[in-house]
Amino acid sequence: MESARQSEPLLTATIFVPLVAALGFALLPGTSDDSRRRITTMRIAATLLAAIPLILMVVAWLRFDGTGQFELLESTRWIPTLGVGYKVGIDGVSLPLAAMTALLFVASIAYPVDFGGRAPRYLALMLFLESASLGVFLALDMFLFYVFWDLSLVGMFFLIGAWGHDGAQRSALKFFLYTLAGSLALLLGIIGIYLKTDPRTFDIPTIIEQGVLPAGGAYSTLVFLGMFLGFAIKTPMVPFHTWLPPAHVDAPAPASAILAGVLLKMGTYGFFRFLMQMLPGTFERFAPALGVLAVISIIYGALVALAQTNLKRLVAYTSVNHMGYVILGLAAAGWAVTGEERAQAIALTGAVVEMVAHGLITGALFLISGSVLTRARTYEIDALGGLAGRSPALTGTTAVAAFASLGLPGLAGFVAEFQIFAGTLSIQPWLAGVGLLGIVLTAALFLRMLQKVFLGALPDRWREWTDLSPAETVPLAALLAMVLVIGVIPFWLLDVIDSTATAFTGP
Amino acid sequence: MTLWLLILLPISAGAVAILVTRLAQAVAVGTLASTAMLGAWAAAAQTTSVVSWGPQLELTISATGFARVMVVLVPMIAIPIVLYTAATETIGRVRLVALLTAFVGAMELLVVANDLFTLLIGWELVGAFSWILIAHETDEAANAQKASHAFITTRVGDLGLYVAAGVAFASTGSFAFSDIADSSPTQLQVVAGGILLAAAAKSAQVPFSPWLFSAMVGPTPVSALLHSSTMVAAGAYLLIRLAPQLDSVTWFAPIVIAIGLTSALAGGVVAAVHRHPKRLLAASTTAQYGLMFVAIGAGSTVAAAAQLVTHAAFKSLLFLTAGTAMHAADSDDLGGMRLGRRLPVIGAFAAIGALALAALPPLGAAWSKEQILGAAFESSPLLGVAVLVAALLSAFYAFRYWLLAFGPGSTEPGQTAPIEVTASIGFLASLSLGLAALWIPAVNEPAAHLTQGRVVPTRALELILGLASLAIAAGFVASLQRRARLAYGVLLPVVATAATEWFGIADASRRIVVGPVQAASRALAEFDDGVIDAGVRASARIASGLSRSLRRRSELSIDAIVNGIGGGTLLLATGTRVADDYGVDRTAEGIARGLGRAGELLRRLQTGLSHHYYVIVAAGLVALGGALAMGTS
Repeated sequence: MESARQSEPLLTATIFVPLVAALGFALLPGTSDDSRRRITTMRIAATLLAAIPLILMVVAWLRFDGTGQFELLESTRWIPTLGVGYKVGIDGVSLPLAAMTALLFVASIAYPVDFGGRAPRYLALMLFLESASLGVFLALDMFLFYVFWDLSLVGMFFLIGAWGHDGAQRSALKFFLYTLAGSLALLLGIIGIYLKTDPRTFDIPTIIEQGVLPAGGAYSTLVFLGMFLGFAIKTPMVPFHTWLPPAHVDAPAPASAILAGVLLKMGTYGFFRFLMQMLPGTFERFAPALGVLAVISIIYGALVALAQTNLKRLVAYTSVNHMGYVILGLAAAGWAVTGEERAQAIALTGAVVEMVAHGLITGALFLISGSVLTRARTYEIDALGGLAGRSPALTGTTAVAAFASLGLPGLAGFVAEFQIFAGTLSIQPWLAGVGLLGIVLTAALFLRMLQKVFLGALPDRWREWTDLSPAETVPLAALLAMVLVIGVIPFWLLDVIDSTATAFTGP
Repeated sequence: MTLWLLILLPISAGAVAILVTRLAQAVAVGTLASTAMLGAWAAAAQTTSVVSWGPQLELTISATGFARVMVVLVPMIAIPIVLYTAATETIGRVRLVALLTAFVGAMELLVVANDLFTLLIGWELVGAFSWILIAHETDEAANAQKASHAFITTRVGDLGLYVAAGVAFASTGSFAFSDIADSSPTQLQVVAGGILLAAAAKSAQVPFSPWLFSAMVGPTPVSALLHSSTMVAAGAYLLIRLAPQLDSVTWFAPIVIAIGLTSALAGGVVAAVHRHPKRLLAASTTAQYGLMFVAIGAGSTVAAAAQLVTHAAFKSLLFLTAGTAMHAADSDDLGGMRLGRRLPVIGAFAAIGALALAALPPLGAAWSKEQILGAAFESSPLLGVAVLVAALLSAFYAFRYWLLAFGPGSTEPGQTAPIEVTASIGFLASLSLGLAALWIPAVNEPAAHLTQGRVVPTRALELILGLASLAIAAGFVASLQRRARLAYGVLLPVVATAATEWFGIADASRRIVVGPVQAASRALAEFDDGVIDAGVRASARIASGLSRSLRRRSELSIDAIVNGIGGGTLLLATGTRVADDYGVDRTAEGIARGLGRAGELLRRLQTGLSHHYYVIVAAGLVALGGALAMGTS
């Protein structure tokens, strides 16, 4: 599974540059009477530092060959007695996710937010979280993966708890405990796999290659279910999703963007990397159940979102819906069929594109929610209205993001959803057919949101509503530009993903 | 690659027009004219262009078959409509001009698509543009709601295309139109069903028709474009392109006929009684597309294609005259218009449109009606008679519309229409006149070839029957006119009321589909908060209570509980036949310790001194890692 190519520590730098930057910011003294200028300077500095991993990911993208193996490997001995190594590398699934993560962090850090007089600590935490998140996607050692996985949890917990609003601490704790429970289940699963390796190793490529846990038997099933629980909570799949809405509603906007854009992807990424690649036989046995759960997530998430009156809760539940699409694509790709390799590769590629697209689109939608909150002091959709005339930039960006989310062609979501459905229709027509209803429901709920927030008569209380500032417009424009590029010319992305997808499904 | 300019040119011109406010109109018209010329080139050259999106996804476009006509028709009809917009629109004029121009690009993509995947892209883009166009006057909240009704109705139809594309791919490994027929018989039926669903929704056939009424809140030029060569046209266009591929599906043709005939008759009745000029025309759109469906089902794609083209010309013409009349009368009630003396030129142009709708030879629209009638009679005499009734209805509401809107009435002098309005309506009128060329075999035979169809020889019987129905309609209108009953229609009031509301279809769909979905959505939202999350909250309360009681107890009992948890986990681990008991034991203890710390954290957080205890979380994680390290050594 490994290509021999060695290079300078590109990926290691990607992970550790933001970590070092985070340390730097953590050491800065923070006073509550910080001048606006100092805060702006710090935010720009943090944005530039956060952009270094993005640049490195672009370089990695250019060097990526698409061999279907792990590439740009960097490894060193760490705890050899335990079989723990430091190993990072990329394939066609992790590279797009890591690149999307880097971009979303730049946009989120650049987004203006009320620092509550603790700007350096906030920025330090964001950079720390960037490091941990990139680590999750780039790690090729289960132990290392788990360390980054839990660190990301800690970072997010602090961000929500300390910079959130309303019931932030309660929500943060719910998020933390719920996903920590998932983490522990995952940990048991990891140990379960580890104990079956010989010689003992946490090395992901080796485990995938050796197929240490064939299907059948209680042991494999329990390991699978433990990991499944961990990833399903993180994703989140219905019925493990109730931590998500409160966490989103009370989190500061950039943390919400990261939570939806990056942290949820850790769950779906785990489905692929661990459950599908390491336990393909067991995954095949559970694929029908997963497919059904995915369709339930699609329909349930969309229906519950339709009833929401709170902008952020609405977007949060559409995440449940969209993650349902991802799991449906993954289930189809890992289904026990033969002769449908092309369709399975399409479904898998679609699922990965959906992860990237959802990260960018929902990231943008959550940042937008933050802008609404700073102006309106509420997320209640019914309290808004008629804003189109007052704020063309806010209206335009929201409309693009909403249409992207409901799967309009020309924007990234369609590229993902079409492939997921086209692929799944070959494997399980009924599941795909029911799941398709989701795209009508998302259309209904997003149009309703656009209509209630932006159209109609402008209420008197919003006469002084201000449009987006450049500091808000630029990050949003960057994310949505990417959504448009993927929507119109996605071949550069699809080729990369397909290299791993076809390696997984067979040509 | 030049072919892609058909799409990119109008879309980018739309973006440019927004920026160069003052030149928007010139940019738009110039672009549309260039697009039309480019379309003519594409139709002549018949080149194919393929863009690869990924290893399995390719977009193939070319102007072949009926697309060779449509690719020119779409921008050509749009030119006068954009001119009209620039001269008349008062709200967001530049935005509307820009959007109409960009919209043409989306429709061109739909037209030149050569596979189901590319088609779906154009198809959905056209739908989304329609939403923005219909909701154009955003101050009125109801407008957006109606625009959403239109978009969601047609998107239900779009699901059919998703299914058709996916199933065709599953069966043949390709999305190409030309490979559809190779699908396995069962899968071909699914493909046919999906395509029919999409086409019927887009072309506003029964039971999807009411979305066209909702779409009437859009400005007049939007209606003129949506109803003529775009949006609504997409459904019939798709069937004209793909019907030959679906030949072997036995139920396909009868169902297409059934849908079309129902729509033609129901739409005819609605148009016959409606007093709102634009809604009258909207209902007539459903009816005229119904006739195209009948033609397709009866095997005459050329009749449907000719009907599509002639309808595009006269319906855009009629909509623009309706807008002009509504503006001049400052009313949307046909009852009090009769603007013939105030707007004589517009009235004369409208007469051409009305006569085309009534299918008076030698207008081109009469040729297409005659072809449809011929194909229907060939298929079955009963169908022929039904089509004859539909044709009679068309003639009736065409005359009725014209007499009520532009019949001789008050002589008071009023403002005349601006020159741009007269010019754009005149252009469309001359297009309708020019289409009389369809009667010439040298024109209609190549047209038949384009649609892989054949011309039904003109028979005297059909011609006479058609003319007779026209005469009956004219006489009927004249008699109503004499009795001054024309505005009130002829049906029983109760039927007429039902017809003006589309026989309650919209209401029924609200009750049967929309209502239950909304109720389910609200119920599930409550279920989500009340039931699913309740379990989570309960465990949180238990943990919280546990943590409080732990605090009160001695260190010893904490150990006991932690060991208990560890032991429980150990049992579980043993159950899984884990060999390395010792390691798991220790690890589980570590996990339990972590859980204990989390419980501790919960309590401390509630005291509000949270930041102190972040350290504890971190420490707990280190402990976890440590336990793992020790436990597995």
